[in-house]
Amino acid sequence: MQAFIQVYGFLLVTMVLQATLALSLYLPLMAGQLSLASPGFYAIGGYVAALLSTRVFPVERGLYPVPPFLFELFVAALLCGIVAVIVGFTALRLRGIFLALATIAVVEIIRVSAVAFQDFTGGQIGISAIPDPIGSQFGYILVAAPLLLFAMFFTYRLERTRVGRAFTALREDELAAAAIGINPMAYKVLAFTLGAMLAGVTGVISAHLLSTWNPSLGTFDGSILILAYVLVGGSRTFLGPVVGGMLLTALPEGLRALAGVNGLPEWLSQLLKDSRLILFGVLIALGAAFFPQGLITPDLFRRREPAPLNNPPTPVAK
Amino acid sequence: MQPSDSVPRITTPKSAGLPTLEVHNIVRNFGGLVAVNNVSFGVHKDEIFGLIGPNGAGKTTLFNIITGLTMPSSGRLVYDGRDYTGEKPHQIAQKGIARTFQNIRLFGNLTALENVMIARHTHTHSNLITGVFGLPPGPAEERRTREKSMELLDLIGLADRAQMQARNFAYGDQRRLEIARALALEPSLLLLDEPAAGMNTNEKAGLSDFIRGVRSDFQLTVLLIEHHVPLVMGLCDRIAVLHFGDLIALGQPTAVQNDPAVIEAYLGDE
Repeated sequence: MQAFIQVYGFLLVTMVLQATLALSLYLPLMAGQLSLASPGFYAIGGYVAALLSTRVFPVERGLYPVPPFLFELFVAALLCGIVAVIVGFTALRLRGIFLALATIAVVEIIRVSAVAFQDFTGGQIGISAIPDPIGSQFGYILVAAPLLLFAMFFTYRLERTRVGRAFTALREDELAAAAIGINPMAYKVLAFTLGAMLAGVTGVISAHLLSTWNPSLGTFDGSILILAYVLVGGSRTFLGPVVGGMLLTALPEGLRALAGVNGLPEWLSQLLKDSRLILFGVLIALGAAFFPQGLITPDLFRRREPAPLNNPPTPVAK
Repeated sequence: MQPSDSVPRITTPKSAGLPTLEVHNIVRNFGGLVAVNNVSFGVHKDEIFGLIGPNGAGKTTLFNIITGLTMPSSGRLVYDGRDYTGEKPHQIAQKGIARTFQNIRLFGNLTALENVMIARHTHTHSNLITGVFGLPPGPAEERRTREKSMELLDLIGLADRAQMQARNFAYGDQRRLEIARALALEPSLLLLDEPAAGMNTNEKAGLSDFIRGVRSDFQLTVLLIEHHVPLVMGLCDRIAVLHFGDLIALGQPTAVQNDPAVIEAYLGDE
């Protein structure tokens, strides 16, 4: 066990953090809004942690104390929330693919700003020597796992209450939702803001885990990766993104381990080791082809009554 | 019964109930096409008001204008004495104006019960915190929402299939489910866009009684678009006839039926 944690501790924490980021994309998706802005808010959270812990509350030696760490989480959530409300009210006027493009632009603006304001953010090099509040990499599971569990509980409960139902209505049919008194813009911005706050908080934890932060940690690549988590895992239940985020984060490491198995032909082992990103892409494509709704679908859980025999189902009128 | 208004003008006889909805000189252009041309009428409280006319007469456009989905090019809308021209659909719904759609717009992937529960939105108040963490008024409100929604499903006879996905219902059931969803808003004005469309003869026969029952049980005013003439004639207190965007007749069914302009519009002048 000790050895396992020694080797895979960092991976386990990363899996949990990536699953949390997947949920941050799922939240706006609950209201039907495809936002790829999560890496941007993740980056903001990381810079909040990096700046506060190295400039405002610097420690000479030893562990970084917990109160300023909690304060960083609070500041990141607040700042990301404010930015998200401002961005949301403008960007969420767009729909579908246009919204996705606009949110990618948000990620890029944040990244380029981080490069440009060198005095503040350290430019391309970023900020290093971010102090460690915990002491071991696996120890971060003590923060990451409760955050993920809280986010899962929050999302699960949300889907079963008034606000979550308003999100669902917007995802299903925005016009019909408005016609029953749901304010589309307000609820879209709320869903977008919740996702942004979650991504920002995740960034704070990541910054301390990695002990360094730079602009390459919040990019368009990240947007696509997080989108892949949700698509592979399934976009219709909160469990889908969590499973997708964990699986896809573990997959490259799994392939690497597989390459080390004795008795594999040289070429196959080489392929698994060097081309794991190619295989990763192939698996995503296969997943999309064979599990178009993702691995986890609502049908796995929902106790739905079959249509009675005397009332044959008719296609939905559209 | 209201005295008949044989000319299309906004008249509210002193003896009649006050108009709850007033449409004043509404015009809507789509490019060069005039879909609704200077239409004015008032719908009185508690009446069933029919809007008829040949295809393309502008009926659905007028419905969309009244519910805020389409902005009028000019003209004013008044509800309960207050001008609400230019307000957004959700604000208009919050005033108590609910509607159904010609091409049913249920939340197809959700269950019948969920469809109705969502429509309790304006009458419930739990927010992010009280809802998620089950704090008052969250849980009690959630229970009431469920009870109320089941009552409505019971009313339309779908209570036993509350957990069935909306898209799996027969066409007529979908239409009634959409009415139940609209009733969940506790509206004072209910707009029905072709409620009988796609219904079989049996369902059509039951529809008149159903709409009358709804009107008296829920004490609301009904404004409906319908093509099925016998239904309209038997059901409506007053009827307005649209033809190429113009209001060509307004009054009691018998008067409208014999109006030369209406006969010409429906039969053509050749």
